[in-house]
Amino acid sequence: MKCKSRILGSMLVTTAALAAAGAAQAQDKALKIYGFGAKSGVVGIFGQQSEAAMQAAANIINKAGGVTLGDGSKARLVIEYLDDRCNAEEGINALRRIASQNDSIVAIGPTCSNVAEPVFGILQKKVGDSSDSGIQFPIYTDVAAKGGLASISQWSFRNVPSEANMYKSIFDWVKTSRPELKTFWGGVEKDFAHSNATYGVMKKQAADNGLEVKGQSEWLLNDINFSNQVREMKRANADVVAISAHPFTTCGVLKEMARQNVKPKLLIGLTSSSSMETLQGCGAQAEGLVIPTSFAPVNDNAKSAAAAIQAINPKYNMDLHNAAAYENVFTLKDLIEKQKIMGRPDTLQADRQKMREALAGMTQTNGLLGAVGRTGDREAVKPYLFVQAKSGAWVVAHTPAQ
Amino acid sequence: MDLLDLIDLTQSVLDGVLFGATYSLIGIGFTLIFGVMHKINLAYAAASVGAAYLSLIVVSHVPVPVVYLVAALMGGVLGWLVYLICFRFLPLSNPLATLMSTVGMLLAIEELISHLTQGMPMNYPAMFQSANIEIGSFFIRGDLLFVFLIGCVAMVGLTQLLKRTRLGLATRAVAQQPVAAQLCGMGINSTNASTFVIAGLLGGTAGAMAGAAIGVLSPLLALPLTVKGLVVTVIGGLGSIPGAIVAGLIVGGAENLFQFIRGVSERDIYVMLLLFVFLVFRPGGLFSPPGGRD
Amino acid sequence: MDFYLGLAQVIGIHTLLGLSAWCVLHTGQVSLAQGGFFAIGAYVAGMLTSMWQWPLALALVTGAGIACVVAIAVGFPAMRVKGLMLVVATTAFAEIVRLVFFNLEWRIETSEGVVGPNGSLGFGGIRYFPSNGWSAFEVNALIWSLVGGVLLLLWWFDRSRVGTLWRAVGEDEIAAQSAGINLTATKVSAFGIGGAIAGLAGGVFAHYTTHVEHSNFGILLATFAIAYPILGGLASLAGTLFAVIFIQGFLLEGLRFLGEWRSLLFGALIVLVMLVRPDGFLSRALWPGRVGPRRQQTASPSVDDSDTARQEGSRHA
Repeated sequence: MKCKSRILGSMLVTTAALAAAGAAQAQDKALKIYGFGAKSGVVGIFGQQSEAAMQAAANIINKAGGVTLGDGSKARLVIEYLDDRCNAEEGINALRRIASQNDSIVAIGPTCSNVAEPVFGILQKKVGDSSDSGIQFPIYTDVAAKGGLASISQWSFRNVPSEANMYKSIFDWVKTSRPELKTFWGGVEKDFAHSNATYGVMKKQAADNGLEVKGQSEWLLNDINFSNQVREMKRANADVVAISAHPFTTCGVLKEMARQNVKPKLLIGLTSSSSMETLQGCGAQAEGLVIPTSFAPVNDNAKSAAAAIQAINPKYNMDLHNAAAYENVFTLKDLIEKQKIMGRPDTLQADRQKMREALAGMTQTNGLLGAVGRTGDREAVKPYLFVQAKSGAWVVAHTPAQ
Repeated sequence: MDLLDLIDLTQSVLDGVLFGATYSLIGIGFTLIFGVMHKINLAYAAASVGAAYLSLIVVSHVPVPVVYLVAALMGGVLGWLVYLICFRFLPLSNPLATLMSTVGMLLAIEELISHLTQGMPMNYPAMFQSANIEIGSFFIRGDLLFVFLIGCVAMVGLTQLLKRTRLGLATRAVAQQPVAAQLCGMGINSTNASTFVIAGLLGGTAGAMAGAAIGVLSPLLALPLTVKGLVVTVIGGLGSIPGAIVAGLIVGGAENLFQFIRGVSERDIYVMLLLFVFLVFRPGGLFSPPGGRD
Repeated sequence: MDFYLGLAQVIGIHTLLGLSAWCVLHTGQVSLAQGGFFAIGAYVAGMLTSMWQWPLALALVTGAGIACVVAIAVGFPAMRVKGLMLVVATTAFAEIVRLVFFNLEWRIETSEGVVGPNGSLGFGGIRYFPSNGWSAFEVNALIWSLVGGVLLLLWWFDRSRVGTLWRAVGEDEIAAQSAGINLTATKVSAFGIGGAIAGLAGGVFAHYTTHVEHSNFGILLATFAIAYPILGGLASLAGTLFAVIFIQGFLLEGLRFLGEWRSLLFGALIVLVMLVRPDGFLSRALWPGRVGPRRQQTASPSVDDSDTARQEGSRHA
């Protein structure tokens, strides 16, 4: 009896203590930041990692006291992430669902470019145009990287790397550091918007930097037989081979190249392929592949970010895609405080307008690799470096001047 | 077209034909099930890819040929599961219901694979990867030749099974005259189940061979293999196994031929047109199956 | 509210798609080509309004019309084959349409900038609805009046001689032929009408998503198109609507709280529905004792092109 009452007593004391401590830290207010993207399906890992990155950032912010609202009170950040399964209609539904909530002032997403384009398309094109019935809701993209999408609407903003800049830089570097390389052959995944668009950039930058573009091999996203394409590659015998494709077909092509003994002097890849997937599928064949990326754990900020996401779930990694989501949460927190957002249902539309203006007014944001510039059409100019696949891991090959 | 192009063209077609062995295997599976039950099993290719994934569980513990064997066995198990879930309890007179239930199964398997592997492409072991035979300017991929041979062995094995064993007899009997077969004491359900298991064994092999030929497995494989398999089945003749074999090789070769001539963006248009040509001029397929059944 | 209106738009479009498949399934053919006609309607209507500023109604009708013409053109040779071969042939046709649009590049300079299909990069900028200030409610009104119109049309067909012809061909081709029914005309007419409805749906789809690309119109869409009437039951038109609400409303949107499990459950639930109700939701009375649909025997289209099975009397109710 005595034992029991002692235990009960200590439980009560502990609970009271926790409650007190909790009250000191927990705010009675919550401010939500929404996200949407592909959380299931073949590209499900992207959405899952974005959500984890957003949560990691929110945890850090909340631990430091949360976000300050317009009236001086503190609120903790809450993340809610919707799954669009990389499908245009579901993406539109997800955005409409988010926009119809009375606590949504901004959303981070989507993952897929084929979702981003229709989603941006249903937004109001020009602010203040009362004849335009598009949705008035600000979106700050983390992953969808097909070129030029943010220009579709004045409510759409992106924090994705500029492929034009990165590939210009990488081919500059090739020209100066490897002047003996003269010829170029490309490989492109034609039916995926992002790879197709980026290949155009790669080809142009290669030509602009004095490489002779001897041609390209093409294949489709689902292709399984690359013998024709690699044979063309072999015949061309180019010094530099650039592959603009996602991990599945990149691995298929690399394996075929190994089979047919095609060994270009330099292999360049697509930004999105600088992730674990490529190394998991064909680490051995990808040896030496150089890719420009906007994230690598090369400084303290980046390293602590990588650690933070592992704390959420050890199977998740930080890569260039969800690093943008991580950065976005911190940026939004700053903007919310600067704009004195109230976060109340009755200030909803005003808050959204304020968020949009704040996003439009940004000239610079904080990135994990350094300061991120902004362009006139709502895109980002992110610092980048080049990584190379070495023994099953990505190591930094070169940090170019920017 | 100069000599170099001609050599490339021949090489292309040769590669395609060897790769087509994988399509043949999938086509045989479809045609076998169709021939016996007169139903399409749209989940077949997905189950085959699933079997290959399951065989990855043992990949670091056993030599490569055993991995393929495990894939085949897993294929058989999955085949039986598909039969149980999608066919066993559905009325025979309603082919639409089984069509839909296999579609549901296809979606479920694809989704399960994506979920369990996080969508990451998985490295799949290949045999004879570096063994390439060079005949003059021609280059025959050793591993594709191996895939081709395994395919042939599987096909011969299947034909022997169908012709020489009691199970094969039962399968053919149920295919031709279900009621009479029942009167002779053959259990329809058990025979159908065994047909699915056999087709599944073949499918598991096909999945493993596709994985070996490409080098990586991905959930993206299921749908294109399904479509190619169906095309092969139709061109070969519904219910005809030799037809599926020949059609698979033809489709594989034609694919590469069209790709060589017209590039990858238009390749599939021509493959589909090839199908239409067959449908118009030879709707029964290459070989009408024996026994007077269509 | 806007969300529910948006969801209603999606349900409406998919209902039209399902109804287009219903027509074809009703005459005993399983066609996976509805996605192809959907694509044709989408691209044609989208191009007409964004590139040449046609009024919406005219663009939609033209899209539907062209889809109908293509359907009839494809219908004639397609009717030579039955069963599984038709499934594969229609799949092949839909793939060809998709690949044609994959390769289609036709951009022109307008007051809004350069618009037009850009090959594999897709076709964006179809901003007729937002630019002209259509609210979600108005778009819905359009979609649902189209759905209502099509339902009315099909219901009227069903009750008239056309419907009898379709059902006759659907249940037993040989008997129908013996009764003097022109098989080809019946099947092709159903195919053409189905194509027109799908083209109409596609036209509206392009406008409410503002951006279409070849990957929207793959095999999965065609499979959904036939899934709706099959899951809903071919005996009734309402069944298709019910199935669309079930899949789009319940499975896809309603189960969001399940997170990642939603996609996994999707396929499993379809299998479950087929196991429990092989003839479709509304094919039998939902509860025993209540008034059920008029017909007991549903015309199950045959993917089995063997005649002997039919002779064996394996068509049990």
